[in-house]
Parts: sequence; C-alpha cells; structure tokens
Amino acid sequence: MKHIKAFTKIKNQKSKLLLTFAFCILIFSFASCMPGGTQAAQGWAGIALHDDVLYTGSIDGKVIAVNATARELEWSYAISMPSTGMSCSQTSRPTPIYGTPAVFQDLCYVAAYSGRVYALNIITGRERWVYPKEGYMGAIVASPVVAGDTIYVSSSDGKVHALDATYGELKWSSEPLGEKLWITPAIEGDTIYVSTFEGYIYSLSTKDLSLLPWTFKANVGFVSSPVIYQDTIFVGAFDNNLYAIKIGESEPIWRFCGGEWFWATPVVKDGIVYAGCLDGKIYAINAKTGDLEWEFDTGSPIVSSPVWDGDLLIVASESGDIYVFDTHSEPENKVMMPAKTVPIDALIRGSLCVQDSTIYVRAQDNCLYALDIEKGWISWRLPLNTKGES
Amino acid sequence: MAELWNLIILDPMLNILIALSDPLFHSFGLAIISLTVVVRLILFPLTSRQTKSTKAMQEMQPKMQELQKKYGKNKEKLQQEMMKLYKEARISPLGCMWPMLIQFPVWIALYQSIMRALATTPENLLNLAHHLYSWSVVSQAIPVSSHFLWLDLGRPDTTLLLAIIVGATMWVQQKMTTAPTLDPKQQSMNSMMLLMMPLMFALFTLTFPSGLALFWAVSNIIGIVIQYKTMGWGYLRIRPASQPTKKIKT
Repeated sequence: MKHIKAFTKIKNQKSKLLLTFAFCILIFSFASCMPGGTQAAQGWAGIALHDDVLYTGSIDGKVIAVNATARELEWSYAISMPSTGMSCSQTSRPTPIYGTPAVFQDLCYVAAYSGRVYALNIITGRERWVYPKEGYMGAIVASPVVAGDTIYVSSSDGKVHALDATYGELKWSSEPLGEKLWITPAIEGDTIYVSTFEGYIYSLSTKDLSLLPWTFKANVGFVSSPVIYQDTIFVGAFDNNLYAIKIGESEPIWRFCGGEWFWATPVVKDGIVYAGCLDGKIYAINAKTGDLEWEFDTGSPIVSSPVWDGDLLIVASESGDIYVFDTHSEPENKVMMPAKTVPIDALIRGSLCVQDSTIYVRAQDNCLYALDIEKGWISWRLPLNTKGES
Repeated sequence: MAELWNLIILDPMLNILIALSDPLFHSFGLAIISLTVVVRLILFPLTSRQTKSTKAMQEMQPKMQELQKKYGKNKEKLQQEMMKLYKEARISPLGCMWPMLIQFPVWIALYQSIMRALATTPENLLNLAHHLYSWSVVSQAIPVSSHFLWLDLGRPDTTLLLAIIVGATMWVQQKMTTAPTLDPKQQSMNSMMLLMMPLMFALFTLTFPSGLALFWAVSNIIGIVIQYKTMGWGYLRIRPASQPTKKIKT
C-alpha cells in the first residue's frame, strides 16, 4: 500500500512538472505563432533560363533543372545545412536559396543560404565543385555574378568573395564592408559596386577586390542591390527613398520618396528608372531629373525586380498578380494601366524570367509557373517537391 | 485581430525599441536593456501587487491546510470556509493572477519586438518594413546591429555564460518567493520546480537568439531588485521546512 502511495506521489509530481514544461512550450509557441511572430528562412530563388532549361531553387532546398518545352524535371540537387537546435547529434535541414542561379558555359552556379557556393553540371546536375569544401561562409542571400572566369558573391560575413569559375578556388576576398551583405554586387567595367546596410557604396577592383578610392556615404542604410546606368547608381534605402548617385560624386543627384522601402532592384531603360516599392506601387522615374513619369498601384508589395520582354515591362506583386505594361502607352494623370494582368494565386518574391512571350515564375507555393503573355493565362504549372535527387 | 494587435501593442513597442538604439550608440543590446527596464517600471504597480498577493497567499497556507484537514470530505463547506478566510485576510484568490494576465501581452509583444527588430532572416527584414513608422530616427537605426558585448543577438550564445546568468537569476528570483512548507510532498514539488524552471530557461537560452535571452536575464535581475525592495531577500535565506511559514521575517 505504501509503495502504491509513493508511486502515486511521484507520478503526480512528474505530471505537474510535465504540465509546467508543456505550459512553457505553449507560451513560446503562442508567442511565435500569434500575430507578430517571426518567420523562418524559406528562400525565394529566381529563375535562370539557358538552352530551354530553367534553373531555380525549391523551398525544400533543391536546385532544380526543368525542361521548359517538355515541362519535365531534368535533374535536382539537394543542398542541406546543419540545423540549430537542442539536438545532441548533428542534424541537417534543407537550405533556403534566395538568389538567382547563374549559368556559364557548362556550369550552373548557385549560392545557398548555408554559406556555400555550388557549381553543378547543367546536363547531369552533378556537383563540379563547392566552396568552401569545409565549413561555411556567412549566409548568402544574393545572387552570384559571373564575370569572365570569376564568380563574385557577397555574404553575411560582410565580404565579397571572388571564386575561380572552373575550379571553385578562392581568388580573393574583400575586407569586411559591413556587418552583413545581402545584396548582389553590380559590375561595370573593372569595378564592382556594393551597397551596404550601413549606408555605404563601395567601389572595388574586379582584379583583386581591393577598395578603390571612391566611396559614397548616406545617412541611412541601403536595402536594395545597386543598378548602374550611364555612370549613375540607382539604389533603394531604408528611409523609403530611391537614390540616384553619380559615380565619383559625394552627394546624390536626386532622391525619390516612396511609401515604403524600394526593396527590389530597379531596372533602367531609355532614361527611365522602373522601381517596384513595398508600398505596392511601380514607379517610372526620369533617370536624370528624378521626376515621376507614371505609377501604378498593384495593391500588394513588390518584392521581385521587374523584367523586360521587348518593350513590355513585367511586374509581379507579392500577392501573386503579374502585370504587363506597354511602356509606349500614354499614362493618364501619371497613372499607367497595365495591358494585361495574370494572377497565379501564390506569393511571388523571387526574380522572374521571360523568354518568347512566356514568363517563368517560381512562386512561394513551391511551384514553377509558365505564363503566356499574349493569351494572359497560365500555360503550365509544375510542383517542385521532388523526391530525392537524381 | 492581428491588425489590432500590431497597431496597438506590437508596432509602437517595436518602433520605440529600434528608435532607442539610435541614441544608445547604435547598440541594440542597450536598447533591449533600456526598454526592459522601462516596461518593468511601468508594470511595477502590477508586479508589486502580484508579489504582495502571492506572499499573503503563501502565509495563509498553514491555515488552509488546517481547513483541508478539518473539512476535507465536505468540499462545499471547505469552499465556504476558504472564501471566508480570504475575505477576512482581504485577499482575492485571483488577486495574484490578473496582474500577471495583464503583463502577459506586454511580455509577448516585447518578445516579438526583439525577434522582429533583429530580422535574422530576409523574410523577417522584409516583413519589418510594413511595421516601421516613417520616423527618421527609426530609418537611421535600421537594420539594428546584432553585436553586443560577446553576443550576436540574432543567434544563440555559444558560450554557456548567458545560459548560466539566465538560470541563476531565475533561480534567485524564484527562491525569494517560494515559501518553505511543512508538507513534505509540497516541499519536494517546490524544490523540483525551483530547479526545473531555471534549468529549462537555461536550455532555451542555448537555443533561442541571445537578444531574447538578454531580455530574460535583465528582466530577472529587475525582478530580483523589485522583490528585494518590496519584501527583502524573502525566502532566499530560509532553509526549507525548518520553520513554520508564519515566522518568516520579511
């Protein structure tokens, strides 16, 4: 009888402790899940198109090659990273991919959030090299840029790294330019331009990544990657302004104020800067004067950069609507109406890709979409949740 | 519901937290400490009331146990006598609950503000844009620097130091308020709880971003100071079950 009582006592105590533990877990789950909770890294890979094959990254951490004509998976390559948690043993999880893969000759270059750069054979999907072989650089959010036989990539360790495109060996690393670099560098001639969260634009030599004399300093940090047009850098900042900075100057030519951040990298054509803003508007701004030419409110933040199909400007809103603008049309009261709108019913954050009047989108529902611009509908949709790797 | 939560509680706290880091040498660690101090000071009347109610409830435990022995079988009578006892002592059984309930959303908002402001992933930075006021002091402070002392506030502390601080301060704070009891079953339970909670939070510290653990540590230290001011070192000096709870000097 005594044993039964003692057992019941211990059982009661254990269940109370379990209840306390469960209560604490519940509080943290509640705090994370209720409005305002944070979101884990998922990635928003863009799409590269080469020889009728689409290269992108899936949400479950795979590099995917899809034949655009056959609408079939060519190959997939899984990338994982060590998971952080209370596990005693080393576990891994799929790595998010944010940038757009770069294809050069027979290799597809992918920069992963784990902090590694991969070079994969475009036909077989086999790994040619990975950098670094051991360990990781800081998390990579930007796209790799290929120039000549060198891959340039910026990382969360605050540096730009230059890798040999063929063998994947580190050629040079810049000195730390900021706490973390999440932007894709812009290359013009022999110079790389890098914007930082700390509000600097640095110019680096492509030959050894050494700092060049010209540096621009703003009062606020830069949020978007820079784009260069006629010796002028266009870049979005945390004060909701789009900056136009003449290379070599210390003051901006103009600033254009949006409703929120200009997160997406702007595009420039025929003297007009087209900049998508998180306030949901696409702005067409005169590159010389900074005057508004026209605007259109999509009603949802614009996260991915606009792309061109001839004279047609393609803009995707985060909520999943894709707008096609004929830039030769006349705006009414500085408002340009889209020629076509194609909804896909999924979030869009990654960069688009256009060829032969077809828009390719990797949406956040982990599906690849092909949209026919002329017909204004979805041509096909391919889920990317492949099983295993080939 | 979500918009209301963001509008009334989360967004103001988030923007104040970010704005604070600008004059504080662009140190987000100092901003977390300052806001934790401010929030605890604002909530001081509630915390103090809760501490006093808890203390009063604990002091009534011997009488309650007597009642339980006396009317254990007659639950209705037991309830009536217990309510009578509360009334005589001018204590509401919910008195120590509702100040805690009021504080609860504030702590959750503070937790969320820290996590959101740190924007450790691109998704979080993107989401942050929709919650910022167009104050120049906020835009100049973005993105917040995650380095503070030896810590990367967006990542768990790899040294054990912060986990030890969080665990130790939580143990001290709990020990100050946990009354010893003559009931061995209850005493054993209290001892287990006294160890379990600090241990659990020390483990959480090894998993959660250290910015959050910094908030726990500062919050615990302020809690200790508040309790010291309201009831001295409390039960920190008392050996468990050596004396009846009534005789405890506060």
